[in-house]
Amino acid sequence: MRAMLGTMRAELVGAGGVVERNAYLTKRYIWWDLAWFVWTVANTLTIVFIAKGIEAEGGTLDVEETMTTLLIGAVVWAYLGILFEFLMETVAWERWEGTIEYTFMAPLSRAMHLAGQGVFAVLYGMLRATFLFVICGFVFFDLSMPDAQFFAAFVVLLVASVSFIGIGMMMSVLPLISPEKGTQLGFVAQGTLLVVSGVYYPVDVLPQWMQWIATISPATYALDGARSAILEGEPLTALWGDIWPLLVIGAVSVPLGLWVFSRGETYAKRHGKLKRSG
Amino acid sequence: MSEHAVHVDGLVKVFDVPEREAGLAAAAKGLVRRKTREVRAVDEISFTVDPGEVVGFLGPNGAGKTTTLKMLSGLLYPSGGVARVLGFEPSKRQRGFLSRITLVMGNRNQLQWDLPALDSYELNRAIYRIPRERFAPTRDELIELLDIGDLVRKPVRQLSLGERMKAEIVGALLHQPQVLFLDEPTIGLDVTMQKRIRTFVADYNERYGATVLLTSHYMADVEALCKRVVVIHHGRILYDGPLAGLADQFAAYKTIGVALENGHTDLSRYGEVIHTDGDWITLRVPKAETSSVTARLLTEEHVLDLNVEDPPIEDVIELVFAQERPE
Repeated sequence: MRAMLGTMRAELVGAGGVVERNAYLTKRYIWWDLAWFVWTVANTLTIVFIAKGIEAEGGTLDVEETMTTLLIGAVVWAYLGILFEFLMETVAWERWEGTIEYTFMAPLSRAMHLAGQGVFAVLYGMLRATFLFVICGFVFFDLSMPDAQFFAAFVVLLVASVSFIGIGMMMSVLPLISPEKGTQLGFVAQGTLLVVSGVYYPVDVLPQWMQWIATISPATYALDGARSAILEGEPLTALWGDIWPLLVIGAVSVPLGLWVFSRGETYAKRHGKLKRSG
Repeated sequence: MSEHAVHVDGLVKVFDVPEREAGLAAAAKGLVRRKTREVRAVDEISFTVDPGEVVGFLGPNGAGKTTTLKMLSGLLYPSGGVARVLGFEPSKRQRGFLSRITLVMGNRNQLQWDLPALDSYELNRAIYRIPRERFAPTRDELIELLDIGDLVRKPVRQLSLGERMKAEIVGALLHQPQVLFLDEPTIGLDVTMQKRIRTFVADYNERYGATVLLTSHYMADVEALCKRVVVIHHGRILYDGPLAGLADQFAAYKTIGVALENGHTDLSRYGEVIHTDGDWITLRVPKAETSSVTARLLTEEHVLDLNVEDPPIEDVIELVFAQERPE
């Protein structure tokens, strides 16, 4: 028992090391990240302005509510993007830097290695999403959300993050299989989630077969829960209907992600795909 | 089996390498039917390395050296045969194995390019579970030995090749590995830096009793560090034995250097004159005739000085690759 606890502690320290390294790297590029953040803000504003555009064209809608709905969609989407980006970089960035062989030779279990990547991505992504929401929602548009339960929305997003990490692990294996084009292929999964999860429109408007896919997308429940908490002021206890599917999907996607990654690693080591060249 | 630090038996690595002719037509054809060629990068090699031994692993480019080292480090899975390091099977990624080996590749880096080396050392401390009380003295000692105290606070991207290599070596040895796989650790470095790294490796080997398997194209590295060499070519072992024995086995000649009292004299009747430097003349003679030629020189000429040597190790290695000793 003591030995097991010791191993667990040591693995956590190792994962902490990965988090720390990502923090150093993020700090190294912080000004570039800020520039990239400006793009994210611009992109989010573009989407939120759609509601104003519809109103200006004579459409009848609750502009404030539609803007908030779109804002939540854009922020969750930006958060998902950051999460996937960090996980995809588990392989892609390290191959570019030329450090991947050493990382794969390090005495850290793959689960903890990927967990370290995921935890940093969640911390950084949450921070970024918060800034994005505040800047667009309150500084730029001065939206009113009197009943919003921000803590409940935060918890839903946190629970959803587990599933997102699982999916990210599966996608991060793609650059292992194809060093040249694998990263781009990762956007396929991201794009699929965008279409089916109701990021900018209700899932009900989708064809039936797409709605079926939506039921297994964690983004569907994350968006639904976050909107219920912020727009309708639902407390955390009332969001169980969104939380339990997220827990189930997370319980499946993380082990599946690890398994897929280990298969990819085996493939890469059989075929010599870890190296960049030579 | 486990008394050897490294045990390799019938190790094989086969790659399927895609290949096609040049041109659009061939490229289009490749979309439908991809042609691959099987390359046996490592072809049933067997050798062992004892604990504390320093062995040179020599071969020309593409001989299979790096592929072998990667299989021994668990970065590549063998297609066949057995590889064991410290009793572990490398492909299983067991912690006991990974925390006791290191691989230094002269053309790769483990240090993050954008961070100071010190930050990457911290990551290694966490991952290799080096207790803080051991980490700091080890790090500082290695930094001092390699004289990079001023460099480890700079981003790695700002270091010169030699400086980076030294910083890489510190990172690779922080966990005090028992087995070192060194793949061209001195590649591209100037002679002073090469010498420094050689001295350091020899010192590390002596101090920690570490096992070292070294590949290098610089024979000075091999001569300074390795009593034994394994020569590999086209994935097969051509020679495994003492460095000194390499010339005996492969070189069909020796060199005789001689200085005569009467200066320049035509010595071509004794052997092939390969070099003249002032009064010093170097002859190449068949190995079997070395004694008789030496005796003749001493009796027939007024010899001031004379020595008999094996050919330079570079020449011997070249001969080995050229000959590919028949089975």
